[in-house]
Amino acid sequence: MSEPPEHGKHRTNPLNFIGVLGQKSQDITRYALDIIGLISVALRASRHLKNKQRRAIFRSLFVRQLYNTGVKALYINGMIAAFIGALMMSRLFEYIPRQVLAEQYGNLFVVVIFRELGPLISGLILISRSATAVTFEIGYLRLRREFQVLNGLGINPVFLFLLPVFFAFPISLLLMFLYFDFICLLSAYVVIWMSDPNIQFLTFLGNILSQITLNEVAINAVKAILGGMVIGVISIHFGARASDSFEDISEAISNSTTSQLMAFFLINIVLSLLAYTQ
Amino acid sequence: MTLQVKNLHIEYPDKLLFTNVNFELGINEIVSVETQVLDGGTSLLRGVGGFLSGVGGQSMLDGMNLLECSAADRAMRVGYVYEDQGLVSLYSVYRNIVLPLQFHTELDQQEIHQRLLTICHDLNLDESVFGLHPHDINDVQTRLVNIARALIIEPKLLLIDELEGGMSEEYLHATITTLRERQKATPMVILITTASEFVMESSDRVYKIENNDLTIRKQGKQDR
Repeated sequence: MSEPPEHGKHRTNPLNFIGVLGQKSQDITRYALDIIGLISVALRASRHLKNKQRRAIFRSLFVRQLYNTGVKALYINGMIAAFIGALMMSRLFEYIPRQVLAEQYGNLFVVVIFRELGPLISGLILISRSATAVTFEIGYLRLRREFQVLNGLGINPVFLFLLPVFFAFPISLLLMFLYFDFICLLSAYVVIWMSDPNIQFLTFLGNILSQITLNEVAINAVKAILGGMVIGVISIHFGARASDSFEDISEAISNSTTSQLMAFFLINIVLSLLAYTQ
Repeated sequence: MTLQVKNLHIEYPDKLLFTNVNFELGINEIVSVETQVLDGGTSLLRGVGGFLSGVGGQSMLDGMNLLECSAADRAMRVGYVYEDQGLVSLYSVYRNIVLPLQFHTELDQQEIHQRLLTICHDLNLDESVFGLHPHDINDVQTRLVNIARALIIEPKLLLIDELEGGMSEEYLHATITTLRERQKATPMVILITTASEFVMESSDRVYKIENNDLTIRKQGKQDR
C-alpha cells in the first residue's frame, strides 16, 4: 500500500510546470499556424472564381451568407446602437457643461463611438449571431460526411463552405459598423433635439463628419476586414474538427466563441493603440 | 469500355479488408457484390472508384488508373451513389443534381436543365421535389437524387452502395430497368453492393466477399 503524502511535503515539480507551459505554447503555435493555413487555403481556392460557372455557384452561397450575416443584423445592431447613442448623449448632458458639449460632441462621438464602441459591439454581435451559426453549420456538414461527398464530386469543400464565409464576414462587419455609427448618431441627435430643438440635423452631422479623418476610416476598414476574416476562419476551423457526435459541435461552438472573442478584442486593441497613440 | 481491377489491397490501421482483389467488368455490365454489415462492401466500392487513399493495386477504367488520377478527372468519369444521405444540405434537390456539371463543365444552364429533366423523368423523380432540401425528402427520394446526380455526368463507371435501401421491389425493378436503358444511351459499367436477392438476380454477375477477397457467386453469360 502506498503511503499518504506527509503534511508539507507535497510539492509541485517545477519541471511539470515547464512541461505544461511548453505544451501550451506548442498548442497556441499550432493553432495560429492552422488559422494562417486556412486563410492561405481560402485565398488559393479563390482562383476558382475566375471560372464563370463556379463564380455563379459561389455567388449564391455568398449572397445567402451576406444576407444572413450582414443584412439581418441590422435589427439587433440598430437597436443596440440606438440605446448606446441615446444613453451616451443623455449622460454627457449630465456631466459636461452645455457650452463645452456643444463644441466637443463631434470629437467625443468619433473617439468613443466611431473608433472603439462601434467596431467592438458590431464584432460581438457578429460573433454571437453569425459565427456560432457558421460553426454549427460546418460541424453539422462534417457530421453528415458532406465534406467527403464534395471531395467525391471533385469539388474542394473549401470553395463551397469556407470561401463564402471568408468574403461575407468582413463585408458584413463593415456594413454593421456603418449601421451602428449611423443609428447611434441618429439617436444621439434625437436626445439633443429634445433638449434644444433649434439644432439642425445637417449641422450636427457636419460637425461629426468633419472630425472623422481618412486615417480613422482606414483603421475601421482594417478592423472589419481583418476581424471579419479571422472570426470566419476560426468558425470554420473549429466546426471542421467536429466528427462523431453533436457533443463535438457544442464543444466547437464553445471553443470557437472563446477564441473569436480573444482574437477580435486583440485585433481592435492593437490596431487602436498603433493608430491612435501619439 | 472496361474496368480492370488488379491486386487491389485495402487496409485500415486497425483492419485488413482486401488483400489481392482481381476482377474485370465488361461494357454495359451490371455486377453485384453481395454484402453484409461491416464486411467492407462500401470500402471496396470507394477503393475501386479511387476515393480512398493508401489503396494498393490498380483500378483501370479505359486505360486510366482511378487510384492515381486527379479528383477532377475522376469526378467526370465515376458516379457514386451513397448508401444513405450523400447530398449537400445547403442546396436544394435541383442544385444537388446539377452541381457536378455546373462545377466541372462549361455547359450552359439550358443544356444542364435538359439533361436533368431527362434523367429525373427516367427515374420517376417528380419535379415537385426539385425545390426541396435534403432534409425534406424521404430515403427512397434521397437515393434517386443520388442516382440522378451520378447519372447526369454520363459516367463511364457507376458505383452504387446498397441500391435497395428503403426501396420496394417495384421501385428496384424500375430503377434497374432505367439503368439498363441509360447504358444503351451512354455506355457504362455498373458495380453495386447489395444484400437484396432481387438486385442480385437482376445483375449479370454476382460476387461475394469472402476471406478478404471476392469470389464468384453467379456467373455472367460470357463466363458460362
